[in-house]
Amino acid sequence: MTFVRLPQVKRLVSIVLVTAVVTLMTGESGNATTPPTTGPHGAFFERVSYFGLFGARRWMVFLTIGLLVYGFTFLYERYMPPVRRKVRTVTALPMRLVQKRTSRFAMYAVAIVILLAIPHIVTQTYWMYLIVEQVGVWILLAEGLNVVVGFAGLLDLGYVAFYAIGAYTTAWMTGVLPAPPFLHHVIPTLWVIPIAVLAAMAVGVMLGIPTLRLRGDYLAIVTLGFALIVDDYVGNQNGITGGGEGSLQVPHFAIDLGFWHYHWGIGPVPYYYLCLIFVALFMVIFTLLEHSRVGRSWVAIREDEVAAESIGINPLKYKVMAFAIGAASGGFAGVLSAGLIGNINPTMFQYQASINILILVIFGGMGSIWGVALGAVFVQLITSYMDNYQPWGFQINDLYMYIGALLIVMMIFRPAGLMPSRRRKREIQSFEETGEGHLDDVLTVDDS
Amino acid sequence: MSVETAVQSETIFDVKNITLRFGGVVSLRDVSLHMKRGEILAVIGPNGAGKTSLFNSLTGVYEPQEGHIDFTDRHGRTISVIGKKTHRIARAGVSRTFQASRVFSALTVFENVKIGAESHAGIGAVGAIVRGPATRRGERVSDDLTLELLDFVGLRKDANLIASALSYGGRRRLEIARAIATDPDVILLDEPAAGTNPSEKLELAALIRRVRDERSISVLLIEHDMKLVMSLAERIYVLNFGGVLAEGTPAEIRANQSVVEAYLGTSTTEEKG
Repeated sequence: MTFVRLPQVKRLVSIVLVTAVVTLMTGESGNATTPPTTGPHGAFFERVSYFGLFGARRWMVFLTIGLLVYGFTFLYERYMPPVRRKVRTVTALPMRLVQKRTSRFAMYAVAIVILLAIPHIVTQTYWMYLIVEQVGVWILLAEGLNVVVGFAGLLDLGYVAFYAIGAYTTAWMTGVLPAPPFLHHVIPTLWVIPIAVLAAMAVGVMLGIPTLRLRGDYLAIVTLGFALIVDDYVGNQNGITGGGEGSLQVPHFAIDLGFWHYHWGIGPVPYYYLCLIFVALFMVIFTLLEHSRVGRSWVAIREDEVAAESIGINPLKYKVMAFAIGAASGGFAGVLSAGLIGNINPTMFQYQASINILILVIFGGMGSIWGVALGAVFVQLITSYMDNYQPWGFQINDLYMYIGALLIVMMIFRPAGLMPSRRRKREIQSFEETGEGHLDDVLTVDDS
Repeated sequence: MSVETAVQSETIFDVKNITLRFGGVVSLRDVSLHMKRGEILAVIGPNGAGKTSLFNSLTGVYEPQEGHIDFTDRHGRTISVIGKKTHRIARAGVSRTFQASRVFSALTVFENVKIGAESHAGIGAVGAIVRGPATRRGERVSDDLTLELLDFVGLRKDANLIASALSYGGRRRLEIARAIATDPDVILLDEPAAGTNPSEKLELAALIRRVRDERSISVLLIEHDMKLVMSLAERIYVLNFGGVLAEGTPAEIRANQSVVEAYLGTSTTEEKG
């Protein structure tokens, strides 16, 4: 029986078990409402098939995927480790810059060309809409949450509230809510962007100052509560926010500089470019922050708050800063989607959306700006595709089961995400090797 | 060294009758301590005597219920420590290391020290985004200081290594560099030699002496290694059961009968065995 303890065998068994669990979880389409023909006293296999283990052919699909993953990780473990372990010492600074500059510029150039050409490649309006609404907006949301969760290490389960604030500020300022606009003066949609972003940041600060003294789990619950309050507020205040219907007529963006006038109109392509500019802007800003004193302070607080304080870092200040900066891109995402879709309602901002954003961050790699963007593109495109083409009898109701299974598998094999941030990866590595330097062992200063 | 004797008389820490309780447990009982600028002061005592509690009280991690702690910086400004937040006390000039080394393991050795070095540079989020001349100057100053301190503790060659890749002794030195980088008046070292080998201990003792002599930072240290304490400290406080048992020069402490009974007797035999 000793061979069962071999890591490879253990892993194989765990993959088969995960496959079985996922198959059971996802079940046969429609089974939840259709009772089995022979009732609960039927034959064993019929009962089993009621739960979908044999009734659906999808277990074959899952098992194949699982075995492929197993084969891949087996080969990876077999041939990669000696190479991987040695890359621990980073090359000297000037050398690193040279290597980076050339390869990076090439990468950026290719990426920019592809991104600019996308409206010419994707000609269907429907898919262009999807790219902006389902991918672009969600990249913004994920990048913002990444600042809070990935950089500062604060679990925010109510991030969607900032999205809602951005969207509702847009509607309010443009005068399409029952509440009269600010100072009874309607502002063109485009000029709402800075105001909505600032509003989201201000709310971030207001929420942050009292709550960010809390640690870990408590903060997660407070932010969850905040999101529920915002959701209920916009859903119930018919006289102010339009209640369940929200607003159906948020005007499209328009820019008017006197000599030059531009109207965004109904097509998605102009919005795509607007979105692209802002995604790039936020990504640049967040990258600059990550490698500045602010970013280093976030890492310090995330890793060891007591040690960070001992060198003069004010944890509350930097946490509030993370909240406000993260809220900025969430607020902008709200403006963008309000302007693009033209209608907003409370269902867009339910707390499920917070979890979805968090999934994108975890999937892409917490703390990794490129990873999060890539993760958002990947997950959002696949979900949109699945929803529209429904391959293998896929149903949108089952979506979260698949995403859940995906996350379980991710956490087993790639805990730091699709494209891990270098800092996060090191953190996990050092924790696994020494058991030191992890988030939650602050204040365990023992006295001797 | 006439300048040093001139400032020697100055007080840096004035602890008066502090008592620290956790529920019914008394961790520090009526402790008074006086530390002069420029001295190397050691706090010794058996396990559970309250040494780390004293450190945590001095740095604002714990708040003693009774007593006063006054800290005076090099400009003669005196602040009351109790009730102040840790980061404010750190900014005022009190820096520390921890018993179990607490380097930021996700950052490189260089970045670890740089965080300390830039704690006084006024770089905010806006500065980091705009990267104007002031920000760049601040970055350059803290980069220079960081490299200087890495040289000082002998970690320059490991600057780009991930902090967790350092040896135990290396992490100790990194922590000291990070603490010095904040430009403190006094540095509190919590068992700096714990877990290091004899040759590392010698280097460490030399380093601690250089911290005081070359960077004129006063040193307050907790240490179990008697040889190190006796050779390094100029004055020693002995804590036992949360109270001060004795105070004096190493020679006086060695001769003190109650100290020998309470602590040194057992410890020195352990040291020999």
